[in-house]
Amino acid sequence: MPDSAVLRPDLQYASLAQQGETAELGMWVFLVNETLFFGALIFIYFIYRLTYPHEFAVAARDAVLWCGSVNFVLLLTSSLTMVVAINAAAQGERRAMVCWLIATAALGCAFLGVKGFEYYLDYQDEVVPVVNYLSKPGEGRAGELFWVFYWIATGLHAIHLMIGIGLVLYVLAWKIPRGKITPAYYTPLEVIGIYWSFVDTVWLYLYPCIYLVGRS
Amino acid sequence: MRFALETDPKRARTLPFVAVWLILLLLGGLSLWAAFLGLGMWTPAVQSGIAAIQTALVFTVFMRLKGEPSLKWVFAVGGFLWLSFLFGLSMTDYSSRQGWPTMYDPSGPSYQLPRHSP
Amino acid sequence: MSVTTVERVPQGDAPVSAEPNYLTAEHTVASWLLTKDHKRIALLFFASITFFFFIGGIAATLMRLNLATPGGLLQPAVYNRMFTMHGIIMVWFFLIPSIPATFGNFFIPMMIGAKDLAFPRINLASWYVFNLSGLVVLYALIMGGANAGWTFYTPLSTVYANGYVFAAAFAVFINGFSSIMTALNFVVTIHRMRAPGMTWMRLPLFVWAIYAVSVVMLTATPVLAMDTFLLAAERFMGIGLFDPNHGGDPLLWQHMFWFYSHPAVYIMILPSMGVVSEIIPCYARRPIFGYAGMTIALMSIAILSFFVWAHHMFVAGISIYSAVFFSLMTFFVAVPSAIKVFNWTVSLHKGRIVFDAAMLYALGFVLLFTLGGVTGLMLATLAVDVDVHGTYFVVAHFHYIMVGATVSAFFGALHFWWPKMTGRMFPESWARFAAILTYVGFNLTFFPQFILGYLGMPRRSYTYPAQWQSWNLLSSAGASILAVAYLLPLLYLGWSLIWGRRAGANPWGATGLEWITASPPPPHNFERTPIVTLDPYAYDPETGGYTTQEGTLHAG
Repeated sequence: MPDSAVLRPDLQYASLAQQGETAELGMWVFLVNETLFFGALIFIYFIYRLTYPHEFAVAARDAVLWCGSVNFVLLLTSSLTMVVAINAAAQGERRAMVCWLIATAALGCAFLGVKGFEYYLDYQDEVVPVVNYLSKPGEGRAGELFWVFYWIATGLHAIHLMIGIGLVLYVLAWKIPRGKITPAYYTPLEVIGIYWSFVDTVWLYLYPCIYLVGRS
Repeated sequence: MRFALETDPKRARTLPFVAVWLILLLLGGLSLWAAFLGLGMWTPAVQSGIAAIQTALVFTVFMRLKGEPSLKWVFAVGGFLWLSFLFGLSMTDYSSRQGWPTMYDPSGPSYQLPRHSP
Repeated sequence: MSVTTVERVPQGDAPVSAEPNYLTAEHTVASWLLTKDHKRIALLFFASITFFFFIGGIAATLMRLNLATPGGLLQPAVYNRMFTMHGIIMVWFFLIPSIPATFGNFFIPMMIGAKDLAFPRINLASWYVFNLSGLVVLYALIMGGANAGWTFYTPLSTVYANGYVFAAAFAVFINGFSSIMTALNFVVTIHRMRAPGMTWMRLPLFVWAIYAVSVVMLTATPVLAMDTFLLAAERFMGIGLFDPNHGGDPLLWQHMFWFYSHPAVYIMILPSMGVVSEIIPCYARRPIFGYAGMTIALMSIAILSFFVWAHHMFVAGISIYSAVFFSLMTFFVAVPSAIKVFNWTVSLHKGRIVFDAAMLYALGFVLLFTLGGVTGLMLATLAVDVDVHGTYFVVAHFHYIMVGATVSAFFGALHFWWPKMTGRMFPESWARFAAILTYVGFNLTFFPQFILGYLGMPRRSYTYPAQWQSWNLLSSAGASILAVAYLLPLLYLGWSLIWGRRAGANPWGATGLEWITASPPPPHNFERTPIVTLDPYAYDPETGGYTTQEGTLHAG
């Protein structure tokens, strides 16, 4: 069994603890960047929704509420399985950690599956701007703006989720078999967990923006 | 990096996370229910408030910001602070425009000039 | 007046160390292209940005040749592509990475007493991403160039322009990630990797400046990333996000663009302010005046720069009340800059000033930055801006800051740190000549443009009424002098690499931690991590001595 004596800090660090804290701080600094990236997109949505409330309400009725809600539950649960996996890593419970990480990746893939099916339904509903778009009565020219936001926001979110799944698989296939995740140093998993929960946070905002508009 | 409940039995370690997960689901349900209540222009405000509470819970519990204030808090909050600059200062323009938000009639006549390829 | 520095007594070459330095430690191509050493990565960035400086310079040369006569040289459509590509390449491929990615990468770890940055692999990745974006912009350039202006206003750029706008916008989008990676590295490094005893208030001002610029890069660039992404998507797919035909608002694109691009101009000036704060104390042989005020000014500029962006949009159609607000905020943001200018000036008082090349560039910076800054206040005044917006007055203003100030500071940094990076001394008289020629050429090029703008000559136009030819000719003549002044360092610095006298560890007698190690430095910077005991700039004006930050006194 690999032990923590094998793990040494990189040459610019005085200790593993410093390396771990620095990596975690690095992820938080990166999240500032991500907050502003998605925030800028939501800003555009905000301005246009304030400008065209009626058109947005009409256009958004075609959003597939059950897909969005199921995805909400899936992603939130994957955040839970991720933190439970990190907990297991801290305790040195290797099998539990691997199981929960696989669950996290699986839930992420399930999200992508539902999203893909939803995209298929959207194509059927003719709400794909430029490619296959039909204005519904009452949404004027501006309803298409809602759907532009929808495709870009969910597309970018899905890309970020795919990167997250890739990172989880990387830890499962590369770092854990080589014994690089131990109770003494499990920062890579923590850092990925913070990123994962952030991707979940973005969905917390996209969900009401997309699926809960014009429902009454 | 250290969990406060490390030395406790297994159930006590995961219980806070499961509890927060349930609360987040409930809040999501609340947001969904609010959409059908007919609150009119208050709906987005209520839903944004719920999203903000959910974000705070995810940040403090799932992303382990709780505990004593640290440098990570500054960066966690900083992104949202900068977003408030973007939103707020842009609104000095939009909110003081004549006739906004009904600034443009998208169903009116439009002029077509030739589009060019990328 | 004294023309020699403290330590530069007549001497032969400094002894050559038997230990390998960062240049000689490994020789293979792979050891350079896959390096994790921040010093080598700095040199890699040097190569890239120098290449793009010349490309942007060629575009500028063609523009000034065209504008020497009203009849012109280039076809109007080609001229449009010239000024667009000149702007894009100079802003994103030279100015924004210039000081942070080169001198920042090289000296931040050394100045704080660290062995490397926090994330060396991300540092290398940043260079590769930069080059990827460079390839895309070169593709756009070679295929004919974008022609919507570097500001890419919609719907011209998204719907009607017939140049390679998508490629150029995509290049800018990728370039942003390079900035973000560099900035993230600096922020985390400065927080977590300082040597024992190196408290925040003992950091050299260059480190503070790089920290401030990194905060701005981190928070501003993602908004540009989203904006250019949406622009590219709209251009490529014909979606109508900013197209009035679909209910889109062109001003919304501009708000997001300038939310980034105004802080971007501070990204371009803050590092040069840091460089000047290093050079002036060293060549005046006395501490900087008002260190705490300088740090507060740097951070204030960084934050206030986010509150002023719509001063670029005064005549674009924003509401007048919003314009008044942004005009007021623009006046506020000038205050910390002015404080810095006062402090640099007072720092010279009762100093034993040495007029070496680096100091000449730094003094030129202070004068040109002041002139550019004051004209910025003129532009912030709504009533004036209505008349001079979109004229050469604006062009002159921003060239005074970006070229007069930033590029001067870049050359100042190059001369100041050349001995440390290469282990060679350059011929000082040639360097002084180049600095003075730069100053003369620059003013001759850009001061007439203030007058032209005031007279009403619009920018981005391939021709002009004949009565303005003499001013334009003067400007073009100045540009030719400036070109020579910028080429000269290439010659004598290149010469010095082979025939220059070998430099000692601290030829200028400076106090920073980077000067206590050999020139060029060993691969891991320091034999032992230094322990910092002193504030920076411990120059003693009475005796002429100085003390480096880990406590070694050098008597005067």
